[in-house]
Amino acid sequence: MQAIFDTQRACTVFDEGEAVTGYLVRRILLCIPILLAVLTLVFLLVRVAPGDPAVAALGDYASKEAVEALREKMGLNAPLYVQYFQFLSGLLHGDLGKSLITSRPVAAQVASAFPYTLELTASGILLGSFLGIPLGIFTALHRNAMFDYLGRLFSLVGLSVPAFYLGILLILLFAIKLELFPVVGGGNLSDLGETLRYLFLPALTLALIMMSYITRMTRSSVLDILNEDYVRTARAKGLRERLVVYKHVLKNALLPILSVIGMFAIVLIGSSVMTEVVFSRPGLGKMLVGAMKQRDYIMLQSIMVIFSSLVVLINLLTDLAYGFIDPRIRYE
Amino acid sequence: MYRKLIVLGLAAGLVLGLFTTGITEELAENQVLRIALDAADLNTLDPHRAAATMDRAVVDMVFNGLVRYKPGDILVFEPDLAVEIPEPTDGGLVWTFQLKQGVMVHPWDGNAGYELTAEDVVYSFNKAADPDRSSYAGEYGGMSFEAVDRYTVKITLAEPLSSMLFLPKVADYCGGFIVPKQPIEALGDDAFKTHPVGTGPFMFSEYVPMDKTVLVANPDYFRGAPVLEKVEVRYMPEVSSREYGLRSGELEVVEGRREQDWVETMEENPGIVVDVFGPGETVVLHFNLKREYIKKKAVRKAIAYALDRDSFLAFFGSTAEALYSPVPVKYLAGGLTYPELWAAGLAYNVDREEAKDLLADAGLADGFTMEAVTSERASYRRVYEQIQAQLARIGIDLKLKVVDHSTMHSLIREDTNPITIYIAWRANADVFLTRFYHSDSIVVTGAKSDTNFSHYTGIDDLIEAARSEVDADMQIALWKEAQREIAEYLVSYPLIMLKYIFARTDKVDWGYDLKSTVALYTQITENTRILK
Amino acid sequence: MNDGKMSETKRLWKTFIQNRTAFVGAVIALIVVLIAIFAPFIAPYDPLIQDVYNRLLSPQGGHLLGTDNFGRDILSRIIYGARVSLLVGISSVLIGMVIGTSLGVIAGIKGGKLENLIMRGVDVLMSFPNLIMGLMVMAVLGSGMGKLIIAIGIIMAPRFARIAHGPTLAIKEQDYITAARALGFGDLRVIFRHALPNILGEVLVMGTLWTATAIRIEANLSFIGLGVPPPTPTWGGIIREGMDYLSNASWISLFSGAAILITVLSFNMLGDGIRDIIDPRTTHGK
Repeated sequence: MQAIFDTQRACTVFDEGEAVTGYLVRRILLCIPILLAVLTLVFLLVRVAPGDPAVAALGDYASKEAVEALREKMGLNAPLYVQYFQFLSGLLHGDLGKSLITSRPVAAQVASAFPYTLELTASGILLGSFLGIPLGIFTALHRNAMFDYLGRLFSLVGLSVPAFYLGILLILLFAIKLELFPVVGGGNLSDLGETLRYLFLPALTLALIMMSYITRMTRSSVLDILNEDYVRTARAKGLRERLVVYKHVLKNALLPILSVIGMFAIVLIGSSVMTEVVFSRPGLGKMLVGAMKQRDYIMLQSIMVIFSSLVVLINLLTDLAYGFIDPRIRYE
Repeated sequence: MYRKLIVLGLAAGLVLGLFTTGITEELAENQVLRIALDAADLNTLDPHRAAATMDRAVVDMVFNGLVRYKPGDILVFEPDLAVEIPEPTDGGLVWTFQLKQGVMVHPWDGNAGYELTAEDVVYSFNKAADPDRSSYAGEYGGMSFEAVDRYTVKITLAEPLSSMLFLPKVADYCGGFIVPKQPIEALGDDAFKTHPVGTGPFMFSEYVPMDKTVLVANPDYFRGAPVLEKVEVRYMPEVSSREYGLRSGELEVVEGRREQDWVETMEENPGIVVDVFGPGETVVLHFNLKREYIKKKAVRKAIAYALDRDSFLAFFGSTAEALYSPVPVKYLAGGLTYPELWAAGLAYNVDREEAKDLLADAGLADGFTMEAVTSERASYRRVYEQIQAQLARIGIDLKLKVVDHSTMHSLIREDTNPITIYIAWRANADVFLTRFYHSDSIVVTGAKSDTNFSHYTGIDDLIEAARSEVDADMQIALWKEAQREIAEYLVSYPLIMLKYIFARTDKVDWGYDLKSTVALYTQITENTRILK
Repeated sequence: MNDGKMSETKRLWKTFIQNRTAFVGAVIALIVVLIAIFAPFIAPYDPLIQDVYNRLLSPQGGHLLGTDNFGRDILSRIIYGARVSLLVGISSVLIGMVIGTSLGVIAGIKGGKLENLIMRGVDVLMSFPNLIMGLMVMAVLGSGMGKLIIAIGIIMAPRFARIAHGPTLAIKEQDYITAARALGFGDLRVIFRHALPNILGEVLVMGTLWTATAIRIEANLSFIGLGVPPPTPTWGGIIREGMDYLSNASWISLFSGAAILITVLSFNMLGDGIRDIIDPRTTHGK
């Protein structure tokens, strides 16, 4: 479990006597300094890196004066702490700033990219869960049967394969050999049919990876519950297998499964970046890599704000979910 | 009576039918051209800032110059917004242009278009000359611009220039693109970067980040309404994606990979045509004369003998040509030809034994190690990797440090490299020589520090003399002399010329003969059309 | 010799052989390691020698996996590529393991402000998706093998800190530790005698599994172009180069990708299997 659970957090346990709301508030407040530290780190790292957005914006033909003039205009000659406070105060006012390269408001850039990333990750998670949960239950119920071994091998392969390689394989097979789907791009979002055609292969890439994680998770979760005394008792009492599965196992196993699907989403962020790169989808991940290459500090900071907030938020929700899935609740 | 009418009607219908099929046979119904370029996104569509292919392509369709490079042939200038190409007066100091009347600026943001006048042209040149608003300000130093009347623009120079050097400054290239005053004043420079408004055959319609820029036909274009209704410029950095887009009919034109195998692979597809055209970019190795080892001429000579142009050409195939002097003689006046170089004994054809001997004589029989920064961009990596392998054969260990493309440009300007490969196109011999070989351009320390990576100071006088020489033949002779000096001293080693390569469906008709273009893409003009 | 210990080792070994996942994983991983070590003796060609007149040859007699765009033998490049993948994968995890585990244990034992500082720092670092952290660190450091190891080590350290921290805390609360500390035994003794042995199993299992992750991250970074600079062959780098030739020379990407997949898979199988062996409660193969 831990292997895939890269970001697993220490379970937070309710303190005796502490009100749930008090815990909630404390846990949420804790996110703020973490987020702030993340932002500061991003701010510093991108500026320490060699490279110059002015050069990136102007291209190689520009003279040194032009580069200098642009740096001044971009505000890059201001002392670091000034830039830092500008960034923070902008954030507080909900202003993400303007791209150093295209001068477009970052919010507009992000708004155009976000739907592509959202539909990709959402469909990856949904499709992955839709396939992974039944497979996990099935392999658990038929533990050590041939099918179980195959399922386990399959999911091991799934969590070993780099997303970009899986993407290439799918491109080679479905787009190049069979010519069933377009190779790359995002398609026109207002055209549903086209969107789906463009979405299919990248979503499948993520779904297969997601499915591997979820199959493993589901399998071990179901096995845990099958080992619980009350299920054994139920089975021993001769309750029909199917009934046992429905009544006890599913109900009790699904909650933890659902609670961790959110956490897989974090793992999936990395995979989605690579998937967007391979499939040239105009999403946030590709935008991030582009901003990195162009040293577009402002874009980079903002995208990182989004990604990190997402991670922190998911962590928060997971922690809360862990609190919620208290054993007493689980055993009724 | 009725019968007669019916017959007449039939006949008329027949004739009409024949007539219409005759037309539709020629042109496809859907006049939308989708062209995919090798870029992740645009940078800027302000023509005075645009530098890379993906930006120049759009700018080329949206804007005009006073004069223009003839579509498809950069050796010929013809009038664009100007009525004709004038002769200079006042001892070559004054150029007076008459503007065409009735040239309409595109409508923008609900504002109606208006007639372009001398006021716009003067505004545009002043913008191009302003270092805060233009990357090409250096080209317009000492020039003044004046609107004599509504249709007359007078440009006064500080020093006379030959037409070879002057015309590019007012052509449809870099700072010469005319940016109309009202839209850019209304939108502001920042918004203009992603919302260009000009006078060209196509008008800006939409920009989707990392995806595409959409242009639509300008029905009021002064050369007549374009045949194409719409042009979509797609940003697609993966060559395989562009390739399959073209094959599957999702794209009409794609930028290719500059290698022979790509040309061959594409040409195997029925209905697909590959265009390889110039000028392309020169690939030149600059020696850093201040660096250990490299400062010895024997070492530079050894490196020159170790490099194998034929091997590069085998790699790039028909998409490359050998380059023998910094100024590519095939496309620009003032370059050296191979026979000229050979006659001077400066050809340095590959000879590894000679190279090793030279190193040994210099006390470097065991070779040496050096480190160079390079770009992660394929064209740079592939050239550097071949150089690395070729140098390894004479015992020189070239370590590469790969960084993002723009980071490489920052770093090499900080004098990081003992040898620097630079891949570039410049408008004329003067720009090539000034920016790479004049002492003012020396990286970091030069008065106008630029891209003189070698710290060479030997031909300042020749460059300056050539620049102010008005006689074309004399000018060329001076440039050639300067390049003989460069070759003699081995300041740099010109390797190859990488040309541009695009593939298209054979249904696309450019509407002109494509040999070379400074727009760096297959120009799309009002005459470009898609056949049935 | 302690007989009890011997039989314990024997038992573990027996379980190991019986555990098919672990065994197969170990065998494959061992083969990859051997290939990496003996690359010069196995590779049919020098992986750096270019022959542009024989570029992009399809798999055939002289070149079993074909040649790349510079005419280099792909099989030889993949064989040498194993060196980079393993070296980066294993050493980055080792660095992360040593630093991360130490920090986690120290935080657990010392408690108070120091613990807060360390663990919040861990929270911060773990708020970056792996790949993005790698991208940023590589942009700062520049390309190179050593830098790659540092970058991935930085990604790995906080993970180890977390898995070391929890159990240490639990141990600290136990009566015998409290007693030991009351007797004046120092922190070091507590760490080495009690904390480390308790978490070692978990750390080793995770170390193996995360080696797989590290190899994958290395491949990702190389694929983006921020890995080990040319001409050193790396699997991610070969795939990236092959992307340009997918339509006419897909073998370049296909084979090197398969190498990554097989290697990562073997470490995952090994780690999974070891966990089953060390922790019999989870023999159902979590």
